[in-house]
Amino acid sequence: MTDDIRLKVQIEREEAAVVICPSGRIDGSNVDVLEKTIDEQISAGEKALIFDFTDLNYISSAGLRVLLVTARRMQQGEGRTLFCALAEHIATIFEISGFKSILQVCETRNDALAAL
Amino acid sequence: MAADNAPDRGGEASASDEEPIKNKVLVVDDEEDLELLVRQKFRRRIRKGEFEFVFAHNGQEALDRLAEHNDIRLVLTDINMPVMDGLALLSQLEDVNPDVRAVIVSAYGDMDNIRTAMNRGAFDFVTKPIDFNDLEITIEKTLKHVITLQNALQSRDRLVAIKRELEVAYQVQTSVLPAELPSCETHEIAARMIPAREIGGDFYDLFEFDDQRIGLVIADVSGKGIPAALFTMVTRALLKAAAKDSPSPAECLNMVNNILSQDNESCVFVTLFYGVLDLRTGRFLYSNGGHNAPRLRRSDGSVEELEATGNLVLAVEHGHEYNEEEVQLAPGDGLFLYTDGISEAENEAAEEFGEERLDAALASVEDPSPEGMVASLVEAVRAFAGEAPQSDDLTCIAARLRALSGG
Repeated sequence: MTDDIRLKVQIEREEAAVVICPSGRIDGSNVDVLEKTIDEQISAGEKALIFDFTDLNYISSAGLRVLLVTARRMQQGEGRTLFCALAEHIATIFEISGFKSILQVCETRNDALAAL
Repeated sequence: MAADNAPDRGGEASASDEEPIKNKVLVVDDEEDLELLVRQKFRRRIRKGEFEFVFAHNGQEALDRLAEHNDIRLVLTDINMPVMDGLALLSQLEDVNPDVRAVIVSAYGDMDNIRTAMNRGAFDFVTKPIDFNDLEITIEKTLKHVITLQNALQSRDRLVAIKRELEVAYQVQTSVLPAELPSCETHEIAARMIPAREIGGDFYDLFEFDDQRIGLVIADVSGKGIPAALFTMVTRALLKAAAKDSPSPAECLNMVNNILSQDNESCVFVTLFYGVLDLRTGRFLYSNGGHNAPRLRRSDGSVEELEATGNLVLAVEHGHEYNEEEVQLAPGDGLFLYTDGISEAENEAAEEFGEERLDAALASVEDPSPEGMVASLVEAVRAFAGEAPQSDDLTCIAARLRALSGG
């Protein structure tokens, strides 16, 4: 688990995927915390990442950029990246930015696991 | 571990975090025995790599050693030595390496010389015959002081570098904004950009085509600082060129997106809204690349959200097809384009300004001119935010159709 004052990133291991659970806020000041956690998982050869946003309150454009990079890197390695449990505010950001059309978003973690 | 000696830096990341801390001490004394004694007494700590000693037998040799080893942090020096004594060495130390601290080793009765040494900047002293426990404590205390000082200097240098970068980013970003906004018979425009302390990548722009049409742009590049500012410049230049080539906003976004998305490994992206208002008909044609929906404020005070075109941010997906929507303006109607620095501005309770407050503020402006709209929105956001710091650029541009041109 990696910590910042306003962002905690927890890793949970499901049978079919690694679930990354950021809680709090992701912005330019702490996005490297998330980036580092993701790097570790990709370097470890994980083939399926699920982002569980149940406890995420805010994500800035700097954070969204890291999600895009992650999805692209996973895709290049024939891996999968899914996003689930978006709070209303985060869902709106995904909607406005159009990310919903290029990132795979599911309602719940179970939906995401089933979609793998 | 030597790194255990590093003082707490409040969790701040530092370039020196990875490097092991070398506690290199230069011992200067003309007594040959001292070298053996020091090596003997500190053998454990030398073996563990906690201390490293370098030896010299007079002031001149000491200066030579200092020139060879620029990582010496502490000089332990006798006063009475041939060739160059300890006091002469002290006077030159500052010039050779200002970060080094000196500790004087001298006879107990030699208080006059010790006082002179302290006045010349020695950090501390120990007396002969040497009590090695006392010497060890003094060495540790002095090293700690040197390390704290070095860290403080590094932090300062980093802050200076950051500040300089922010100034450049600010200049780059503000230099791309149009200098003058028109106010004429058919239309009037007003805009504001209030950059955050760590400048983001917002910009607005205005194009005027053949007196019959005007183009309005608002955009937000992901990230902050110089990389965002440079991406901003490129985006603005590309759109300006595209707008000259095509009257279709969607086509312009297609062109800009296809260039920006080439080899964009870092996935920097830009949300961009571009619309063209035809001053002859009042028709506003627009395309929206993932940006917050602008508002249309009718002359009766009602506020509408411009329908989304269902598109993605720019620079991410090559070949993405941007769509167009249109809306009809009547004289007296105004458009308000903004970035999320406004809608996501937070108050002290970490609540967002939000779109409801935005719509309410727009509906209730006393002066519905573009200048009135931008001024009262900025004021509303500031009043809402209170003492909470501004974390993102606050940017908006407003336009009002005054009368249709005869064209």
